[in-house]
Amino acid sequence: MSILTSSGRVAGAASVGRTKRLRPSYWPFVVPALIVVVGVIVFPWVFTLWMSAMEWRIGEEQRFVGLQNYVRLATDVRFLEAMAHTLVYTALSVVAPLVLGTAAALAFNTKLPARGLLRGIFVMPMMATPVAIALVWTMMFHPQLGVLNYLLSQIGIGPLQWVYHPSTVILSLVLVETWQWTPLVMLIVLGGLASLPTEPYESAQIDGATAWQRFRYLTLPMIKPFLMVAVIIRSIDALKSFDILYTITQGGPGTASETINLYLYSVAFTYYDVGYGSAIAVVFFVLIILLSLVLLHLRQRSAWNSGDGK
Amino acid sequence: MASVSIRNVRKSYGPVEIIKGVSIDIRDGEFVILVGPSGCGKSTLLRMIAGLEEISGGTIAIDDRVVNDMPPKDRDIAMVFQNYALYPHMTIADNMSFALRLKNTAKSEIAAKVERAAGILGLGPLLDRFPRQLSGGQRQRVAMGRAIVRDPKVFLFDEPLSNLDAKLRVQMRTEIKEMHQRLKTTTVYVTHDQIEAMTMADKIVVMHDGIIEQVGAPLDLYDNPANMFVAGFIGSPAMNFIPGSIGGDGFTTEDGSRLPLGGRVPAASDGRPAVYGVRPEHFRLADEGLAAEVVVVEPTGSETQMVLRPLGSKAGQAGAGREDRKRELTWVLRERTGARPGEVVRIAPDPARAHLFNPDTGLRL
Amino acid sequence: MSRPLRKLLDKAGMAVCVLLLVSPALLFFLWMLSLSLKFEIDNGAYPPILIPERFAWKNYTTIFEGNSFLLYFWNSLIVTGAATLFALLVGVPAGYGIARMQAHKSAVVIMIARMTPGLSFLIPLFLLFQWLGLLGTLWPQIIIHLVVTVPIVIWIMIGYFETTPMELEEAAMVDGATRWQIFAKVALPIAKPGIVVAFILSVIFSWNNFVFGIVLASRETRTLPVAVYNMLSFEQVSWGPLAAAALVVTLPVLILTVAAQRQIVAGLTAGAVKGG
Repeated sequence: MSILTSSGRVAGAASVGRTKRLRPSYWPFVVPALIVVVGVIVFPWVFTLWMSAMEWRIGEEQRFVGLQNYVRLATDVRFLEAMAHTLVYTALSVVAPLVLGTAAALAFNTKLPARGLLRGIFVMPMMATPVAIALVWTMMFHPQLGVLNYLLSQIGIGPLQWVYHPSTVILSLVLVETWQWTPLVMLIVLGGLASLPTEPYESAQIDGATAWQRFRYLTLPMIKPFLMVAVIIRSIDALKSFDILYTITQGGPGTASETINLYLYSVAFTYYDVGYGSAIAVVFFVLIILLSLVLLHLRQRSAWNSGDGK
Repeated sequence: MASVSIRNVRKSYGPVEIIKGVSIDIRDGEFVILVGPSGCGKSTLLRMIAGLEEISGGTIAIDDRVVNDMPPKDRDIAMVFQNYALYPHMTIADNMSFALRLKNTAKSEIAAKVERAAGILGLGPLLDRFPRQLSGGQRQRVAMGRAIVRDPKVFLFDEPLSNLDAKLRVQMRTEIKEMHQRLKTTTVYVTHDQIEAMTMADKIVVMHDGIIEQVGAPLDLYDNPANMFVAGFIGSPAMNFIPGSIGGDGFTTEDGSRLPLGGRVPAASDGRPAVYGVRPEHFRLADEGLAAEVVVVEPTGSETQMVLRPLGSKAGQAGAGREDRKRELTWVLRERTGARPGEVVRIAPDPARAHLFNPDTGLRL
Repeated sequence: MSRPLRKLLDKAGMAVCVLLLVSPALLFFLWMLSLSLKFEIDNGAYPPILIPERFAWKNYTTIFEGNSFLLYFWNSLIVTGAATLFALLVGVPAGYGIARMQAHKSAVVIMIARMTPGLSFLIPLFLLFQWLGLLGTLWPQIIIHLVVTVPIVIWIMIGYFETTPMELEEAAMVDGATRWQIFAKVALPIAKPGIVVAFILSVIFSWNNFVFGIVLASRETRTLPVAVYNMLSFEQVSWGPLAAAALVVTLPVLILTVAAQRQIVAGLTAGAVKGG
């Protein structure tokens, strides 16, 4: 309605010439937040972009170098490897929680005793302080003393080196990420399931559809928009993942689990090469935005109920 | 109390004009109902009186004071919304006194006014409850109470009864009318229900596509509709329209049947195409009348409604489509009847109460 | 098979499923608790011991013995409290304004802020704080936590204010309220549940934040997550006290999660689903 009103105002002003706004302006409500957002969010974006064109080490002279930092990135093997690690880590950290989270949502979408409490426990991993849980995972991953290898030995597997070997480190970290973030996917899908109409199910039951058919042909298509939302959020969060990786491996062993974010940290705050670090931040940022746009585009196409145009 | 004067008011959203120049004069104390199908602009017009929509052109004046640029709070109006718009976090008493408290009215005065309004509407025992604890009818009353407490110049109602069930609607209709007779506050009321309009209004404004089709007292609109739109909109079941032409001293339908005009043939109109309008209740059985087959009989108890298909029209033949169904006639009779579907009856309209319309302009001849 | 029996089996199967799903979280936190209550010798035992014969309560007392842990707790409290309160102060009205202006485009800024890695805010703000001479105080952390808390609050409040019917505010307008009165006396009280949700989520995400602290905190201005991490790297690694410290850090959040799970779920899904 107010969209209409605002455009109507233009026409009104044209025909009457001096129509005053009857509706209150809402700008004063937004201005304080706008100042904060410009200060702590927009300013850093712009400043980062500017720094990325400088040779700038903390405590040294700054010099404008144009795109040189970006050229350097293209040939930086450690950066390219970090990029590969990030993509593998992200892909796995999207798929695993998606599958498990959907299954969990289906299970939670039934009448269960103490459903609220169970859901509360289920979401604890994602709300808990990441550093704290990362510390405990570190202990659990310990090849000799860790409880994980003990559990595996009970079913005749192991012992694994977990995060202490380059070949298993990423998978081990994905395990933590999955453990931590499956609940979020579950919540999103559960929200989707709650929004589904019941009539199609009753109709399908009368038509003789089996439980699997009802899932495959009714539930899955109808919750697809929600799954896409989960994929988008999960992708962004997995790309940005820092606390867990930094606490458990710091990118190690060697650089076997170093992601862009960790490399960015090293460059900017270990080597204090903030110019080059800014260039990494810009590339990283563009990567995230691009991925989000692609996923958003896919979501638009998959939405059966996106009539609201949001 | 106040008069409201609407002068050539227009409203457009971008290039789309919703209200195309409307003028209405509302006298002090009058109960005016804006009625029309959805999308006709009646609610927008009401909201412009309230100050919730800006006026694209023309002027609205309350008590001879142009209020175009005046925010709602300064217009001294009260409005009852379609969904009541009760503040969910306030008790009924607080809901009713909100406007007074905003004006820093003295506590004793607030209490007196709330009590008076609660008395009028029978809300006394509910004052400490919250809106969610009330039934639909009670909420409706609170919304009215909120308006009464204000003692405003003008009451505005925006389809206030549309969320109530049929029985409650009839009851609230009476209550609103009683309230108006008691308070005599100028009232503008919007509805799409012509029965509400007929039963409550001093003056009805029929709107359609952003223009006013006719303004008048309820029975005046019923008896003398200015055009086919008003004729069809006011009255239920709707008026029968029979296309044909004027000839001699009567009317010839497209099927060739003759209908009487009671000597009211417009001058120099021989052979001119026209539409013959007659209300369902203005037919009677007549040997010399139109022969028609009974299609459906719908007894309501107090009266009987019948759908008839004139013989000789294509509607009677096999394969009659939707288009032909338009030719069907509705007849409402007070008496009970033994007529069954398939029987043929002969009916004639009361020529004194029939109307002729120009088929091109829709205007009454 | 008879229908009731089948129904019973279905139910039992579902219960097993859910138990299976909850167990990774449940067992993890139980193990965390177990680690924090065992002496070094029990933590090193093979096969591992879940419930020790003697509880090492001293793991908890030792972390509080050095005064600094209380200081870090206080720092966390100040940073999270200030960042959350300030975010509510500016974010709630902003959410209202954006919802009422239907300025959905402005929400894009919030969304992009959500996408941006925290580290890329850190580099420029670190330099800014250095230049302003604020490093060494809690201000840099309070300010940079706004990057987390303000978008959360605005995002959730937009959603809440959008669901409050415009009709109510129009009624208030006709009743004679100014825009500030409408906001304070009509919109705000109705949005109270939303404010609670925004508050809880803002507190949790600010409390948990780690990356800002490791860059900006000095010895005296560490928050709890940073302090616990430093225990791992600089002190001798002994699992009992470490697990105890980790549990103490995250315990407030866990309690809040279980106690307010309904609000958290509402907030996260509203934010998430709208976030798409």
